[in-house]
Amino acid sequence: MIELNSLSLSFGGKTILRDINLDIKSGQWLCLVGPNGAGKSSLLKVLLGALDYSGSAKENGSQIFKNRNRSVAYVPQNPELPEGMRVFEYVSLGAGKLNKWGEVSADSVFAALEKTDIYGLHERLLTELSGGEFQRALLSRVLLQEADLILLDEPTSALDLHQQISVLGKIEELKLQGKTIISTMHDLTLAAMYADEIAILKEGAILKTGKAHEIVHTSELKDAFDNQINVYTLETGNTVIYPEKN
Amino acid sequence: MKLQLKIGLISLVLLLIALFLSISVGPVKINILDFSQLNQLQKTILFDIRIPRALLALIVGSALATSGAVYQTVFRNPLADPYLLGAAAGAGLGATIALTNASSDISVLLPIFAFAGAISAVFISFLISGKFFAQPSTLLLSGIAIGSFATAVQTFLQQRHSSSLRPVYSWILGELTAASWSTVRWSGIYVLLSLIVLFSIRSKLDVLLLSDEEALSLGVNANQLRIVALAAATFATATAVSASGLIGFVGIVVPHLVKGITHQVSNKNLPFIAMSGASFLILADLGARTILSPAELPIGVLTAFIGAPFFIAILRKRRLNSR
Repeated sequence: MIELNSLSLSFGGKTILRDINLDIKSGQWLCLVGPNGAGKSSLLKVLLGALDYSGSAKENGSQIFKNRNRSVAYVPQNPELPEGMRVFEYVSLGAGKLNKWGEVSADSVFAALEKTDIYGLHERLLTELSGGEFQRALLSRVLLQEADLILLDEPTSALDLHQQISVLGKIEELKLQGKTIISTMHDLTLAAMYADEIAILKEGAILKTGKAHEIVHTSELKDAFDNQINVYTLETGNTVIYPEKN
Repeated sequence: MKLQLKIGLISLVLLLIALFLSISVGPVKINILDFSQLNQLQKTILFDIRIPRALLALIVGSALATSGAVYQTVFRNPLADPYLLGAAAGAGLGATIALTNASSDISVLLPIFAFAGAISAVFISFLISGKFFAQPSTLLLSGIAIGSFATAVQTFLQQRHSSSLRPVYSWILGELTAASWSTVRWSGIYVLLSLIVLFSIRSKLDVLLLSDEEALSLGVNANQLRIVALAAATFATATAVSASGLIGFVGIVVPHLVKGITHQVSNKNLPFIAMSGASFLILADLGARTILSPAELPIGVLTAFIGAPFFIAILRKRRLNSR
């Protein structure tokens, strides 16, 4: 359980996040949506414990910032691709802390690769992977961390539709295993389809939080995107959200 | 057999062969396998010249290769060199100050001056990069600036004391000729201490190849680890430079060879990189003193002959890969 109370974040005199109040239940998938510059990625970094804040951000009763006893995995939007590194080495970094930086068992790495459907790519250079393959290598690394909380910054950006569905399916599997997922996502339709809860951000503030299938029909979502989106409900019950054509 | 064990054994055997060749080959042939048959002259050459020289090459080679690999990780740049943060230029300035001012026995003072110069240059680079240290590229640029400044002061001093040009020049090219048991002792202790620190954090070091946020989620405070790693690597580099002058390219060639052979970029291989660096420099020294025998080629010239084309080959490969 994560509780954010009156949380604000400033950097270089500029306010990035203002008066954030948010309760995040364990075992749920919360998606942060909003236009560019709304503060989604910064909020993820606060939840990671990488940025100092004013106000309170507690996980199971303890402040998040610089708390080294947490169990959290993080997938950035633009990860570093270490030159010359192969998939096996990259994925095994996930097991470092759990193994007290000793020898990582090859079996556990292969098991993680198998779960994300990239078994057999362990000898490949990271730079040789497709976007979807790399994203799954990242998820394999996350699996080895055995973290309870998983933070993902735009996990499907730069992926084609097929790869997006595949990666989101893997993240959903993690949620079903009891992990708490917090992600940012640009694609509102996919956010509505996969997340349990959505928090709408604009200019560093949360406009509204609620159940994903309900919140997409609220005026706050349209407001966040300056009324430039259309929300359409299909006969199947799924919601499609697309930009307004000028 | 497990890969790590195999690489470890190969590195060790290579090192033993290099050591054996280094102490056996020279103007006076010494067959150490038949030790009882050696005459007094051969024993003196063996114990007072060849063994300390081979050991100094071992110490300096392992220090430079390991530091190179660590710098490449910290700066996330496979072409980073242990001399990058001004250690070489600082040591050069320190040595020049010693050589241009010393009225007494400079061989005693020179390593201390070179060491102080190297450490000061790197320390100032750190100070200048200040709070921007979070970005390794800022530190790197301040290192380049400090290096240029130290080189300028060194050149100025050299011009003012032209009589010291030759010894300064010879020191800059690197030399293991002055190897003595006392040099082996102090440099050995310093390098060993640095290597113990670097080996103990070697598994964590790989995380520095990722972003600081990813490092945090993997349980590593990137900034703290960078400081420890750079301090230990710089200490080893400063020691190596003080003991033997500027021997270039070892820190680039050896880590790349080991990475190329093992197909791993991991710092878990640091002990093998250290052993391979030792073998490389022992063999380079053997080449330096036998190629033009009885004259001796400065070892820095030989490593540059090997290293510069190697460096160009890596650059070319990177350019082709990035296409």
